[in-house]
Amino acid sequence: MVKYILKRLGISIVILLGVSLIIYTLVRLMPMNYIETTYREKISIGEISEEDYQNLLKLYGLDGSIVAGYFRWLGNMIKGDLGNSFKYRVPVTQVISEHMWVSFGIALVATILQFLIAIPLGISSATHQYSARDYTVTVFTMIGLSLPTYFFGAIVIKVFAVDLGWFDPSGLVDTGVTYANTFAGQMQKFGDIIYHMILPITVTVLLSLGGLMRYTRTNTLEVLNADYIRTARAKGLSEKTVIYKHAFRNTLIPLATLLAGIIPGLFGGMMITEQVFDIPGIGNMAYQALLVGDIPFVMGYNMFLAILTVIGTLLSDLMYAVVDPRVKLGK
Amino acid sequence: MRPKKNTNYISLKESRQIIKHNIKQMRYYEAQKRRKLTQEEYTSVMRDENNIVEIDGLKTCFFTDTGTVMSVNGVSFDIPKNKIVGVVGESGCGKSVTSLSIMQLVQAPQGQTVAGEIRFNSDDLGTNEEGKKLCYDIVKMPTREMYKIRGKDITMIFQEPMTSLNPVFTIGYQLDEVSFVHTPDMTKEAAKAYSIELLKKVGISMPEHVYKSYPHELSGGMRQRVMIAMAIAGKPKLIIADEPTTALDVTIQAQILELLRDLQKQEGCSVMLITHDLGVIAEMADEVVVMYAGRVIERGTVEDIFLNPLHPYTVGLQKSKPLIDSDANEPLYSIPGQVPNPINLPNACYFKNRCNRCTKACSGEYPQTIQVSPTHSVACYLYAKE
Repeated sequence: MVKYILKRLGISIVILLGVSLIIYTLVRLMPMNYIETTYREKISIGEISEEDYQNLLKLYGLDGSIVAGYFRWLGNMIKGDLGNSFKYRVPVTQVISEHMWVSFGIALVATILQFLIAIPLGISSATHQYSARDYTVTVFTMIGLSLPTYFFGAIVIKVFAVDLGWFDPSGLVDTGVTYANTFAGQMQKFGDIIYHMILPITVTVLLSLGGLMRYTRTNTLEVLNADYIRTARAKGLSEKTVIYKHAFRNTLIPLATLLAGIIPGLFGGMMITEQVFDIPGIGNMAYQALLVGDIPFVMGYNMFLAILTVIGTLLSDLMYAVVDPRVKLGK
Repeated sequence: MRPKKNTNYISLKESRQIIKHNIKQMRYYEAQKRRKLTQEEYTSVMRDENNIVEIDGLKTCFFTDTGTVMSVNGVSFDIPKNKIVGVVGESGCGKSVTSLSIMQLVQAPQGQTVAGEIRFNSDDLGTNEEGKKLCYDIVKMPTREMYKIRGKDITMIFQEPMTSLNPVFTIGYQLDEVSFVHTPDMTKEAAKAYSIELLKKVGISMPEHVYKSYPHELSGGMRQRVMIAMAIAGKPKLIIADEPTTALDVTIQAQILELLRDLQKQEGCSVMLITHDLGVIAEMADEVVVMYAGRVIERGTVEDIFLNPLHPYTVGLQKSKPLIDSDANEPLYSIPGQVPNPINLPNACYFKNRCNRCTKACSGEYPQTIQVSPTHSVACYLYAKE
């Protein structure tokens, strides 16, 4: 087991090197670099001369070839230095650790809700296959699955925040209010955050239900036709026990695969949702950084995601061994 | 290839009609199973108290997209107490569906028992005003009540031991479950002790070890033994063995059959043994039911069927079995023709197109069952008394 994990981690390092090289190349190949986007006006009126421009490039480490730049970045990263963000003017790690938790909070609540709603829906739509319930659930989750976040988010903001005025359209807290640094004040702030999070979380959950629900439905249908389910019924177990004990444990096996995607989803933020609702989460920060070509931050953020994905995949493989006794992890 | 006229082809309109009809029928029968009934409504009286199960005019059909398939089309036979009844017939003749109907385990909602009676002689019900012993009518029974009978009074051994056990639970867990369902006040220790005793009973040499194993760690024969242990756990009155040895190799087959016969004697229960292997029937069964295209065509004791087969199909079946002294150069006999399409069967003998002794009378409606001797009956015009 330990050997297996070590081996997997070894392979992960190779994967991460490949990922970083590809991302670095892609970011450097973007048509505009940080200097051009930031000092565009000054360059156009000639306030910054060609010589100054070259100096700036050198200052930001954007001169020279991609290969040289990559190895410089890699060398620093191995030393544990991800560099300073061009845009935010602070170390990349600091930006990530400061803004990660906002995204994590939203994603955690959304993921829990998503599982709590989608799995029972999937199971009940499988046990009532081709019934009115099955079709209704399928149609609505499919609508959710096909709507883009920016579109549905905008509609929700228009209806519930602008027209009805029930919610604040953007932000994490009320901007006009200052909260006292007491327990009561903090609780008030917390309540305000929850109030602001209702819309984004609802949108995220509604839009992501479809996939998980269809996944559960298909798996449950497959399991329900298995011979051992008939055996379980022949034993005299009630339908409830048959479905929620014998069938559900088997439905869980393929669901373990989803774990690989959940880990980066939890910490990595949601670029578009955070953008639409103007939440200062890590996804939003990365979006802003990407717009101006902030190479250290984009690299740092993407490596963060890549590491999370690798960990998620490893965890999901380990989970297989937990939920399915037939799986034995090799050496 | 010339396309056959009017077979395997339905127009869009017909298809829509069939689906509409199916949905209506399936809804109706599913609702029937969920009804709340008083006990009188699903109890009846046994014709003969020495029978454990009496099946009368059982009809089970499947509502498919190409039409209604009558898998079991008016089957009647009895399973006496303490006897092994063999049900024999080729694939698709309705043997398994008959047994699943007894358990109410037909694949719902497509498969539904639509008519007939299955009377199950239970000791829990007492007698009626006339002093006759009451029995359950399984066809009318709501599913909720069925839970009490399944796995306790009637148990089942399935064809595929490899897939019939849940892969994610241990053998012990799956065996204990039977005890917990039917004896709710049982302690964990008692259930475990009982399960290990059962495993010993079915000839498993290391019961404590097997108790902790998962199904994938056992061989096919071992798994079938576990299935048998599960089947005798509730001290059943009837064990339905649906081709219990088909998926096993020959040496294991003999062991499993022997075990089944020994257990039947020990436990004093009846066994309904479904198979397509005449050899198994000859060795195991006391009585034989021969089925063809969803109907019982011949019934009798094992001597009746093997020494004096009457129906041309039974005769054909026995001729198509290789014997140790048969001429190796002769090709093995096979009954010509094919089983008729089970959708929209005509009201005539289903075997007449394949029969080598077909007479003029055979073109009439489906033959009545003719009692040839007290134990032997056959559905064929050849034996009709003028």
